[in-house]
Amino acid sequence: MKKIKLLCGSGALFAALLLSAQAKINVVATLPDYGSIAREIGGANAEVTVLAKPTEDPHFVDARPSFVVKLRQADVLIDGGAELEIGWLPPLLQNARNPKVEAGQPGRVEASEGIRLMEVPAQLTRAAGDVHAMGNPHFMVDPIIAKAVAQHIANAFAAVDPAHAADYQANEKKFEATINAKLQEWGAKLLPYRGQSLVAYHDSWVYFAHRFGFNVNIFLEPKPGIPPSPSHLAEVIAQMKAQKIKAIIVEPYHNRKIAEKVAESTGAKVVDFAQFPGALPDTDTYVKLIDALVNRLAAALK
Amino acid sequence: MKKLFIVVAALGAQAAAFAQSPSPASSPNDVEVLRQQVQALTETVKALQQQVKEQQDTLAKMSPEPGALPANQTTAASPPPAASAPPLFPTSDQSVVASAPAPAPPAAPVNGAFPTTDASVTTSTETISSTGAGASLTAPITIAGGGKTYMNISFDGQFSLAYSSDRNLAQLETGDHDPQQRGFSARNLELALDGAVDPYFEGFANIVFKLNNDNETEIEVEEAFMQTTDLPWGLQVRGGQFFSAFGRINPTHPHTWDFADDSLVHGRFLGSDGLRGVGAQISWTVPVSWYSQFIFGVQNGRGNTGYSFRNPGDNGVFYGRLTTDREARGLQDFVYVPRWENSVDLSPTQTVLAGVSGAFGSNETGANARTQIYGVDLLYKWKSPRAEGGFPFVKWQSEAMYRRFEAGRGVDDLFPVAETFHDWGMYSQIIWGFKKGWTAGLRGDYLHMQDSAFTNDPDRQSRSRVSGDMTWYPTEFSKIRLQYNHDFLEANDFLAAGEADSLFLQFEFILGAHGAHKF
Repeated sequence: MKKIKLLCGSGALFAALLLSAQAKINVVATLPDYGSIAREIGGANAEVTVLAKPTEDPHFVDARPSFVVKLRQADVLIDGGAELEIGWLPPLLQNARNPKVEAGQPGRVEASEGIRLMEVPAQLTRAAGDVHAMGNPHFMVDPIIAKAVAQHIANAFAAVDPAHAADYQANEKKFEATINAKLQEWGAKLLPYRGQSLVAYHDSWVYFAHRFGFNVNIFLEPKPGIPPSPSHLAEVIAQMKAQKIKAIIVEPYHNRKIAEKVAESTGAKVVDFAQFPGALPDTDTYVKLIDALVNRLAAALK
Repeated sequence: MKKLFIVVAALGAQAAAFAQSPSPASSPNDVEVLRQQVQALTETVKALQQQVKEQQDTLAKMSPEPGALPANQTTAASPPPAASAPPLFPTSDQSVVASAPAPAPPAAPVNGAFPTTDASVTTSTETISSTGAGASLTAPITIAGGGKTYMNISFDGQFSLAYSSDRNLAQLETGDHDPQQRGFSARNLELALDGAVDPYFEGFANIVFKLNNDNETEIEVEEAFMQTTDLPWGLQVRGGQFFSAFGRINPTHPHTWDFADDSLVHGRFLGSDGLRGVGAQISWTVPVSWYSQFIFGVQNGRGNTGYSFRNPGDNGVFYGRLTTDREARGLQDFVYVPRWENSVDLSPTQTVLAGVSGAFGSNETGANARTQIYGVDLLYKWKSPRAEGGFPFVKWQSEAMYRRFEAGRGVDDLFPVAETFHDWGMYSQIIWGFKKGWTAGLRGDYLHMQDSAFTNDPDRQSRSRVSGDMTWYPTEFSKIRLQYNHDFLEANDFLAAGEADSLFLQFEFILGAHGAHKF
């Protein structure tokens, strides 16, 4: 009898092991930065799919029906939770009908949860342009925030797939250690330029600026989401000359020609930046992306 | 915070010890002793600071960041007041500051080490869940964005200024929300509400106000329905008043259209207000590797919003027949609307969506008269991999419909003949978003209505149309559109051939939190 029990027990254990060995968790990330970190944490145990392309404007992604299929099969969904994806994620979720990734479920990671967002508008008015009610949602370019998000993702993975909880926590520790070491390198590289002012096309660099000690308060867009006007650009040029600003940050989907014109009349350099891993050459991971940003900025300010 | 507390406590202890030591009147020797003591004190504080820093670094390496997780935050955010009553009471407290810290550069690196933690990036306030779970029922409804409301509420005002060479623009245009007269029209002033009802349902309502040509206000409950959010196996059930899932144009609201007016075939087959009514609908996303969905709806199909079905017509006459306008006799009198749609991505930038739809029911022109409508639709969209604000893109959309309409002899059996009309029509439109906020569109329309020697209804005139438009979206909440139409009306047994030129200037604004649109 005992023998049979033991046999059954070991059989069940074996079956469970087999099951867990082949079952990868299906992870969908709305944006490539969450996707990159999810891959680091998930390792071989997670299949990660990213919806938005790294080069496109994350505010306006098409709610393609193929995304519905991906969301329907998801065990975990990672989104910003700060209304960056508000124009396209809600109808997808409505159509996907996947209770596992509903808000509040263990399979749903809203990355901004627990993050203190900057630039929370005191008053909501669209006269100020495309402002985000919950605050500036472009927070992932601060590596310290990325660590907090990585922890959040690891916890969700562990909750959804307890068999590999230790792996996820170990991968998270590894990611954290890498960021801690890299922060020394990045901080040292940018230290000579600390306190300088930069110009950006869109207000998406406040967290990066805060971390590495830059001021990014002048934008080519007169208001978030509103295309640059000649009168506003004239003002920007005057300010840049007065403050001797040396760099203009543009992202892949911005109109680079406008930045080039401003650069021409001010002697500043146009620096190609991106929020998302994969948008710049050889930046397929989060760490490589920040590497590229730091190197590009240091080169431009030299 | 912890560091400060330890340092302050250490200072307090030193100061207490210092105060207890006898201190006679000052002498040069005493001053020297004092100086040495202060120096020793400074050294101690420095050493303590260094020690605390090292301990913190070790802690940071060993355990997760304080405040990295919402659960850990209460400990990091607000330490209790120091029990030992230090001489220096804290004059600042980060935990009470609700807004984000100013984006000033953080403190300069100490000893060359770049800080790897920052308590100011995390928050101790709970993020409010958008599901409404755990929310208080007595809390007031705030009308704002920020995911902190129980529902989205928005208002959409759409207006047009029209000129047409045809004096009867209301007859020339096939949609009820289209420009209706020379001059200004306000045919779609829409209040839209949506939100989660509870963990099981979400609710939607679109109430449309419109001004007729005499500037009197009309109200129409365009849609008001609830649908499930939590059914298994990819199922969803909807109940209420809603647009039937037939083709591309019918289920959408006019402000999402790419032209200022309705297509000919949609207006004449599914009705000027679109096919909609009170009913129920079930949909199922098929578990296959591409997007595939079956939708099946049942509606009353009665009245003008069931145009080709149980529609009593204007003054009780439809296509020349006196209509029956009866109660439903049985299941055969409802309208059944099945649809199957499929979508694949041809490449990371190209998507195709194709669908087939049907609508089946009885009509009011005779005792046993029935109507069948079949439709196919195709959408192709390309969007740049470097799209900004959704531009540039190219969108090509086409729909074709066939209608078999059994026209009986009317309620009094006095109409000379019973006829079966085989009508068909289609439109094809291409929209090019050529730069951020700008689109140009071209549309071709054709409508074939079977000739009849007995029916002189002007709605049964075969016709075609070409349209071109240019739209500027200053933001996604406003638009200004200029459109030109050229209509060709074909002669039949009763109506003469004709042509008409029309020019529309359409303008629109949206206020509030408007639900995002489907693909």
